[in-house]
Amino acid sequence: MAIRAVSHDERSAFGLLAGLVAVLMAVTAFPILYSLWISLFAVNLRRPLRMPFVGLDNYIAVLSSPAFWESAGRTALFSAMAVAAVLVIATLVAVLLDQEFPGRRVLSACLLIPWAIPSVANGLMWKWIYDANYGALNGLLLQLGFINSAMIWLGDANRTLPLIANAFIWKEVPLAAILLLVTLKSIPSDLYAAAAVDGAPAFRRFVAITLPALRPGFLLVALYEAMMAIRHFDLFFLLTEGGPGGASDVVAWRIYVETFRNLSFGTGAAMSYILALATLLMSYALIRSMAEKL
Amino acid sequence: MARIRFQSVTKRYANGATAVAGLDLDIADQEFLVLLGPSGCGKSTTLNMIAGLEEISEGVLLFDDQIVNNVPAHKRDVAMVFQSYALYPHMTVFENIAFGLRMRRVGEADLRMRVMQAADKLEITHLLERRPSQLSGGQRQRVALGRAMVREPAVFLMDEPLSNLDASLRISMRAQIRHLHTQMRSTFVYVTHDQAEALTLADRIVVMKDGTIQQIGTPDEIYESPTNVFVASFLGSPTINLLEGALERENGAACFKRGTLTIPLPALQGGARNIVLGLRPEDVGTPGDGPQLHGVVDTAMPSGADQFLGVLVDDAMLFLRVGKDVRVRAGEAISFGLNPERLHVFDRETGRSLRGAA
Amino acid sequence: MIVPRPIGPRVVRAAILAAASVLLLAYVLAPVAWLLSSSLQTEREIVSIPPHWIPDHPTAQNFRAIFATGLGLAQPSPNGADPASGGFIPSVAGNLLPAMGNSFIVATAVVILNLLIGVPAAYAIAKIRFRGRGVALYAILATRVIPDIALVVPFFLVVRKLGLLDNLASLIITYLAITVPFSVFVLASFFEQMPDDLDRAARVDGCSRLQVLLRVFLPLARPALVAISLFAFLASWNEFLLALMFTQTAASQTLPIIVAGITSDFTVSFSFLNAAGVLAVLPPVALAVIFERYIVSGLTAGAVKG
Ligand SMILES: Nc1ncnc2c1ncn2[C@@H]1O[C@H](COP(=O)(O)OP(=O)(O)OP(=O)(O)O)[C@@H](O)[C@H]1O
Ligand SMILES: [Mg+2]
Repeated sequence: MAIRAVSHDERSAFGLLAGLVAVLMAVTAFPILYSLWISLFAVNLRRPLRMPFVGLDNYIAVLSSPAFWESAGRTALFSAMAVAAVLVIATLVAVLLDQEFPGRRVLSACLLIPWAIPSVANGLMWKWIYDANYGALNGLLLQLGFINSAMIWLGDANRTLPLIANAFIWKEVPLAAILLLVTLKSIPSDLYAAAAVDGAPAFRRFVAITLPALRPGFLLVALYEAMMAIRHFDLFFLLTEGGPGGASDVVAWRIYVETFRNLSFGTGAAMSYILALATLLMSYALIRSMAEKL
Repeated sequence: MARIRFQSVTKRYANGATAVAGLDLDIADQEFLVLLGPSGCGKSTTLNMIAGLEEISEGVLLFDDQIVNNVPAHKRDVAMVFQSYALYPHMTVFENIAFGLRMRRVGEADLRMRVMQAADKLEITHLLERRPSQLSGGQRQRVALGRAMVREPAVFLMDEPLSNLDASLRISMRAQIRHLHTQMRSTFVYVTHDQAEALTLADRIVVMKDGTIQQIGTPDEIYESPTNVFVASFLGSPTINLLEGALERENGAACFKRGTLTIPLPALQGGARNIVLGLRPEDVGTPGDGPQLHGVVDTAMPSGADQFLGVLVDDAMLFLRVGKDVRVRAGEAISFGLNPERLHVFDRETGRSLRGAA
Repeated sequence: MIVPRPIGPRVVRAAILAAASVLLLAYVLAPVAWLLSSSLQTEREIVSIPPHWIPDHPTAQNFRAIFATGLGLAQPSPNGADPASGGFIPSVAGNLLPAMGNSFIVATAVVILNLLIGVPAAYAIAKIRFRGRGVALYAILATRVIPDIALVVPFFLVVRKLGLLDNLASLIITYLAITVPFSVFVLASFFEQMPDDLDRAARVDGCSRLQVLLRVFLPLARPALVAISLFAFLASWNEFLLALMFTQTAASQTLPIIVAGITSDFTVSFSFLNAAGVLAVLPPVALAVIFERYIVSGLTAGAVKG
């Protein structure tokens, strides 16, 4: 008696998965392949009729352009600052929320606010705070006497990336803290009890028990935030448009300019592909560890 | 009405593990069959194949004369009780019991009547409006039984339904399940790793190990005439004493030799070889005309109605069950009478019983 | 990490916790509070130096202008001046409410599609052992690491070819790419935690796979459903990049696009700018604070299950 190749169980599985497969095909797999295809042509919407095949020329052009590598350097710098700060602040927040104290629930509800607000509103808010004339940052620092005259914050090429990173960090800390808090909660409390009995002071307990136990959480958060930072576009568009003088010209911004201002879709696609591959490689470990959980 | 037949059924899981290999089994209509074996031997897998919850990798499964390999679970007339009970947490007890009937579009009046009857039998009428989370383990167990019962299925499957209950409840539920079987006229297949449960409930027992059947038989057959060492040692509490030795022939009569020990054996096939002698703890009596066993008492443990003795015979420690009236102390010599007919003899290489015909 | 300590340091601990809480609260709330405060100031007050942290004369004129023009009750002032100081209304004011409507339509449609597509798929992945399950799982996770900016170029070309530029449908479809995989992942983690026996019991009781899902798993999954609905809604409500590419007129522009436009419009007063910001912030923040529990449990299920 031959058994049918596809069992009734598999048939129902495929039926239930049909929608997902359609979505993944249409809005993920297809665009990715399509953009690979486009990246092999010199597509420019200014010359819509001519679309010569150029092979890897777009990639070679991008990878051999010093401007691209400068952008990549800024992306790396921005991401490094952002990830490091998010990790530090989120760890402190997670440790705080791990304590039992009145008002903890209110605090964790408020913590979600930055996570929830649209990135556009986040950009607007910080742009207003950084405003050179009437902004809150100048106002506060002047009132406290830290500076003597108003600063043109976003106009200073040395300060642009850290200031944008600050806005990014503010929005990303909540999620990171929630993820780290879960890891913290999974530390068996008898570990602490044992250490307390041994007379270890709080700080030593933190270094000896908490930090090592947080390692998987750190890995997850670091990779996730790095992914988010590398691809981040919204704040660069809203706060500086790549300026001043290219000081915030990161890869994501460059893709946008190349594609929608210069209308060189081939180059833009090649650049996106390079960015996607870089992120994919970087997050391979993350995918592996998450797939094992299911 | 359902006779269930496995014909060379093999189950391989996706990870390549073979859980059941070449299973041949014929379960009669309205039989109470118990699948017995150690953890991981493939009992649940076998049961799940009957239920349609696991695919059959090779071979054929028939209900009466119909091949059901590709009939999904919900189209088989099968009910099942799970070890975890698996009650629907979001439904009341009533709805839990009624669920299978609703899925089969039983009319509301009939449904209500059947649920009430089942609840009445199981004495859970007062719980009908509760949620599963508000029930004790024993109550949940009854609801799970009720859910299967109302369906009046052709095949009634149970996977270790009693193993989460405490000992006394387990005993009383055994009686209820046995009673259920006589009333329901369904084919029961019951999985357990508890030999006492198997011995009290079953019409026939299937002893499994590593995905293969070791022996099929009535509880008496399985207990009295195990076909191999595994079956002999899996049933009985305390377990059977196994003595390694040699089969020798003296004047054509077989006997067991081990060091200073010689025990005459009943008629059996085969020539001289290494064997394992099995002696159940209760199969010793007061010394009489027959063969005798001499040893030294090592320990004596009273156990309710009778007592267990650890007796050093030759260089082997035997656990034996004797009446309370035998008054012995550690270090004393003791003798027992043996009934050769009750001795089990196995080939040491194959583990098979040499009393095959018996 | 609740550590019993002797009584003495308890006071110290309480003080440290209180200070840390205040610090965190200030860090989180101060920027938003400043946004809100600014939105309630008049044009004259908002350019005062030093800034008025709390408005002397709070006014809701900006919001009134947004609602009046949005509902067609008032016209924007031709010279695009400031409503808060004298009844002038910037020309973009009237676009805010329609944009909010667009955002709402898009987000709601995305939520519904997420549920329709995500729930069955998640159930299949969690409870059915089918060939290719591992591949499906990896595919879903892989989509989460693709930067949305990498999808923009092909999306744009396709959307243009389909004639869907400046059409809400283009947003709804493309937002599925950024929401569905996450929804499936969160839901699958949730279903995974439900006992297999529940699934088996329902099937033996007469349910097809679809019926098991609808009658047993769905009623039990309410928290996860709330969570993924919120995630899909917020992600769609907040999305900026794709909307920037695909929308061109008020017919399809979503709130972030209009707000971004106002941000870079030098003729609009700072106080009106902040009012627009408040409008964009209010719905998602309200949802997040009200459904905090669901969100936190959903996020943790989606990221570090177990
Ligand atoms: N889904 C599965 N995938 C892979 N292997 C499985 C699966 N289910 C069971 N097995 C393996 O198949 C074998 C038989 O399992 P089964 O559950 O049938 O045993 P069992 O006799 O019911 O044991 P227990 O008394 O512990 O319930 C075991 O080795 C088990 O590890
Ligand atoms: Mg089992």
